Amino acid sequence: MKTAVIIITSLLFSLNVFSQTVVTGKVTQEKGEPMPGANAYLQGTYDGTSSGENGEFRFKTNKTGTQTLLVEFIGYESFSQVVELKGDTIRLHVKLKEAFNELNAVTITAGTFEAGDKKQAVTITPIDMLTTAGAVGDVFGALQSLPGTTVNGESGRLFVKGGDSDESQTYIDGSLVSVPYNSSAPNLATRGRFSPWMFKGTIFSTGGYSAEYGQALSSVLLLSTNDMPAEDQLDLSLLSVGLEVAGTKLWKNGAVTGTLSYNNLAPYMSLAPQNYDWGKYPESATGAVSVRQKTSKTGMFKFYSSFDNGSFTLSQENLDAAGIPIDYRLKNGNQFLNASWNDKLGERWSVNTAASFTNNTDDIQFDQTAVAKQTQGTHLKSVFSYPFSEKLILKMGGELFSKKFTQNVQMPDETHDNSFLNHTFSGFTEAQIYASTKFVTRIGGRVEYSDYLNSFTVSPRLSAAYKITDKSQFSAAYGWFYQNPVDDYLLYTALLKPERADHYTFSFQSSANQRTIRVELYYKDYKELVKLTGGEFYLPTSYNNSGSGYAKGVDLFWRDKKSIKNGDYWISYSYVDTKRDYRNFPEQAIPTFSSKHNLSVVYKHWFGNLRSLAGVNFRYSSPRVFNDPNSTVFNGEKMLAYRSLDLSWSFLYRQNIIVYGAVTNVLDFKNEFGQRYSNNPDANGRYPGAAIQPGSNQFYVLGCFITLTRKGNANQLDKIE
Amino acid sequence: MKKIILSLAVVLVSLVSMAQKPEYYQAMGETLGQYATCKSVADFHALGNKFQMIANVEKSEWLPLYYHAQCYILMSFMEQDATKKDGYLDVAEKSVTSLLEMVPAESEVSVLQAFYLVGRLVVNPMERGQEYSGLSGQALGKALALDASNPRAQLLKLQMDMGSAQFTGQDPKSFCPQAKELLANWDNFKPKSPIHPNWGKDQVEGVVKGCE
Repeated sequence: MKTAVIIITSLLFSLNVFSQTVVTGKVTQEKGEPMPGANAYLQGTYDGTSSGENGEFRFKTNKTGTQTLLVEFIGYESFSQVVELKGDTIRLHVKLKEAFNELNAVTITAGTFEAGDKKQAVTITPIDMLTTAGAVGDVFGALQSLPGTTVNGESGRLFVKGGDSDESQTYIDGSLVSVPYNSSAPNLATRGRFSPWMFKGTIFSTGGYSAEYGQALSSVLLLSTNDMPAEDQLDLSLLSVGLEVAGTKLWKNGAVTGTLSYNNLAPYMSLAPQNYDWGKYPESATGAVSVRQKTSKTGMFKFYSSFDNGSFTLSQENLDAAGIPIDYRLKNGNQFLNASWNDKLGERWSVNTAASFTNNTDDIQFDQTAVAKQTQGTHLKSVFSYPFSEKLILKMGGELFSKKFTQNVQMPDETHDNSFLNHTFSGFTEAQIYASTKFVTRIGGRVEYSDYLNSFTVSPRLSAAYKITDKSQFSAAYGWFYQNPVDDYLLYTALLKPERADHYTFSFQSSANQRTIRVELYYKDYKELVKLTGGEFYLPTSYNNSGSGYAKGVDLFWRDKKSIKNGDYWISYSYVDTKRDYRNFPEQAIPTFSSKHNLSVVYKHWFGNLRSLAGVNFRYSSPRVFNDPNSTVFNGEKMLAYRSLDLSWSFLYRQNIIVYGAVTNVLDFKNEFGQRYSNNPDANGRYPGAAIQPGSNQFYVLGCFITLTRKGNANQLDKIE
Repeated sequence: MKKIILSLAVVLVSLVSMAQKPEYYQAMGETLGQYATCKSVADFHALGNKFQMIANVEKSEWLPLYYHAQCYILMSFMEQDATKKDGYLDVAEKSVTSLLEMVPAESEVSVLQAFYLVGRLVVNPMERGQEYSGLSGQALGKALALDASNPRAQLLKLQMDMGSAQFTGQDPKSFCPQAKELLANWDNFKPKSPIHPNWGKDQVEGVVKGCE
């Protein structure tokens, strides 16, 4: 029947086949390379064809008179020309010009590790965080396999490019997380508060970031939470250290997830050898609710709230009392609230608004001292962006950081009550200008005013990127970065100014065929760092901003998902040269948190026949320095180098059940983080010391993750693969 | 008897509409006829161009856009370079998005959407698996809700189930009875016109063959 129809219709139309015009030509790029596959046709008709391998096209048409010939190719500006069809042959040479398209245009990569699903140069994703062996499911642990970071085993926090851990800030969906880490005892590693499962994307910027981000001297970590879940589900996690239940319920354009988790290290720690005596093993309970709601076709509202309570008692030798053990008790309470809304306003404006609130309390008791600390942090932020054209996008916004920090110290014969309240108001604007798809510059600035410090700062930011080839590009960034001094100083003084770091970053990146290489050179100039004058700590005049320092180095990154079948690996190396004169330093010296050489090798392999993903991670950091008060040389002692070989195994038992196991430091390398010393000299005038050891030399974890859905076939495979 | 009347009615309706737009039906029929000869990315590119051309003229018809998207999805499957794969899928995505606005209640469009999402998934199963298998499952669910008898929706669902069975230790052959039933009933589903989607029988035959 189809043929019949075609015959009939063809007959109808062949009636006017009298004057046929041939349209022919060649399609090339501006520089003359032929373009196969271009669509050449007469506007509003079916007459046309595609160009062949040599860019040539040729078609016949029965149309007559004035027509418009269009030649189109995706990613190129379309060509149109009015032609007169008179039954002869028309020949044209069509040159197509590449269209500007932000998606194909160069992006600024200096200092930034961005992982979005559709980004070309994916470096690390949330899935990587889960499956990086040494991280054991910790967001910050996984980031320590990237260049620019230094492992500090006694801290667990992020140390970036010669910066201290409090120089890094964490944002979730645009708003600040005031207390991103769990509370831990002095010299014991902590973990992040948030599970990597929550996030769909990360941007880890280790320097030179946009004017949108302030109050961070070294780095910003931007986490974006998952969008709408696909279906109702119940997730159960059973781990050797705790358990978690999460339920998700969907409705039209919205969803809610409730999570309850309970962790208790008692069973694990009583089995596995520990370096410290725990009077009460760490225990914590968390409840969280997250809501996602589409507010319009383009708008999304997200809300997340969590309540977290934890406690432990650790017994440590008191070096001021002949090594007699004393108990260090800690109780932590953390309430966190985060909301964000993104949408388009009209045709062009888009808005991102975010707010977060943190209330964190730590109640600490040791010896005869009780310390109660409370942090209340609020962050409000709105960013508007407006594209004047595809090539010029303007972004502007305002922020308010409010922080109240209270500390109450009770000792047998004295009590200290201190607190401060600071509001930092800031505004920023930034223009992203594309000269072409190959060259982009981002120029912006930021102003901040802190009422407690009565300080006003202006931070220029500038960055640019140039694409050399389709796969490779250079990128550079420069900027001034300010951050208010740490809480411990602001408790006693308002006479300080924000600390400052100037960043100079230059990077090269090439990415092709699932392989990425990156080389980054940087220099950081620290100014106005806080110095202690040596006066009593409670006197406001004991602090000033006369400190300074520098950090310079090179970061290398290589990731290859291609060469080994079913394998994926990356290698990070960082060289850091840094010195500073700040806080109680008598002179410029290498800070204790910096290692000169840092190496991380991560390998993952998918064994199809075993339905398993295996991971190996090796980390090395060259010896860091520490200070021995018995020595005349400041920070003159060296720690052991840090080495750890970590393994993980994920096994897909059923479609909805994963069994997971991991061991850190499987070769049992000895890791020590220097020495701690007594506060006061003993009878011989010496400060007795003791080695700072990790909580345990190795860590084992075993777990099982189960997903239940109505259909009973949720695919856990994707989570681990 | 009822069936005959029904199919007659369908033929009549399509004949009437064809009579209204003979040039459109002719162009579509000819272009669809070239599907069989397409062997390379370039072939599908050229075919996609033709459907684009027709779509530009027939702004109210959804079929040209449907086939346009399908060409680009097929191109992504044939292409090796991951960046190019995503580039083709970006083009397909545009057409799929327009289709979903144009004919939101068309089961075939939801099947196409699922097919497109599978295309995204296979570019990088490690990183996209979770998100895109969920999304394509949702799209298939919608396709089946709109028309439970749509054989292409059933085929895609079957292929997805069999694909994931390999990884979970389940025997893919346990889906064979389902595949045979689908093949046996395939011809009962009548496309609304000769130019409506009618693909998939070869694939089911392939699946059934693999079962033996």
